[in-house]
Amino acid sequence: MTTNEFYRELEDVLEMSSGSIKGAEKLADLTAWDSMAAISFIAMADSKLGASVSADKLAACQSVADLAALFPGKVA
Amino acid sequence: MTHPLDMSGRVVLVTGASAGIGRDAALLLAELGARVILVGRNMDRLNDVAEKLSGKGHGVVPFDLNQLDEIPGWMKRLAEKTGELHGVVHCAGVQQTMPLRATTVKPAEDLMRVNVLAALMLAKGLRQKGVRAAESSLVLVASVMGLVGAPGRAVYCASKGAIISMTRALALELAAEKIRVNCVAPAFVKTEMLEELKSVTSAEQMVAVEARHPLGFGEPRDVSHSIAFLLSPASRWTTGTTLTVDGGYTAQ
Repeated sequence: MTTNEFYRELEDVLEMSSGSIKGAEKLADLTAWDSMAAISFIAMADSKLGASVSADKLAACQSVADLAALFPGKVA
Repeated sequence: MTHPLDMSGRVVLVTGASAGIGRDAALLLAELGARVILVGRNMDRLNDVAEKLSGKGHGVVPFDLNQLDEIPGWMKRLAEKTGELHGVVHCAGVQQTMPLRATTVKPAEDLMRVNVLAALMLAKGLRQKGVRAAESSLVLVASVMGLVGAPGRAVYCASKGAIISMTRALALELAAEKIRVNCVAPAFVKTEMLEELKSVTSAEQMVAVEARHPLGFGEPRDVSHSIAFLLSPASRWTTGTTLTVDGGYTAQ
């Protein structure tokens, strides 16, 4: 999955309009990023990337770039 | 004096016996004198449990409860070998935390199959002549999630609520066959399932989850004791009930 495709998937999870995520966003600034969104993100990672993400690793992420970095070799 | 939970001479089938509450219930029932038939999908893990059972005459039966239509016939053939069943405990089940926005039909259907429809078909299997004993007891494992709600758990809550409703209906339908039907509704218990929950819940959130239990998280044995009670003659006048075993979770 390309980085841009990853952003589109994240927009789906967060119910944000397409193209609104550019990659430099801080998660704290995304109002839609809450506990339900985090679980939905884990489900997306499982179904679209075949990857499992622990809640603790996810909790350590500060930015959209950090989220993408959770999937080395799968998002590039 | 006879122990009120004495299970000597009784045959009990336990699903989901390779882990969690099912494994512990099997261990306790064997300690109480029952012959336990362990059912699960993983033969190696079932054998590990079987080695730890007290007493003799236990059995290990690999079976996938997703084969819903096969369950009654399978139980009939099984009872021909083990003898009539005095009890069935359905501990097999899956949990799922999935926000509505990420919910899709197939995983929801899969969850309902194991959590609800397998219980229904086990009841159908047990009621058959040659499978049920003169008096039998079916114990289903529901959850406090069948009594209260939680965000992201609509499907799981629906499945456990269905178990609680089904318990009442089955208790009425099967009373004539002298089969009692009850369920236990645990809150969060320290099992592999709790570990799964931890994988989608941050450490901070887990502290908050535990705080909702005035008596803290439960141990599998806390639930097994209730299961043993509902299987034993001590509960001979109890049917159609939900025994909440939750450390105070639903008292609030």
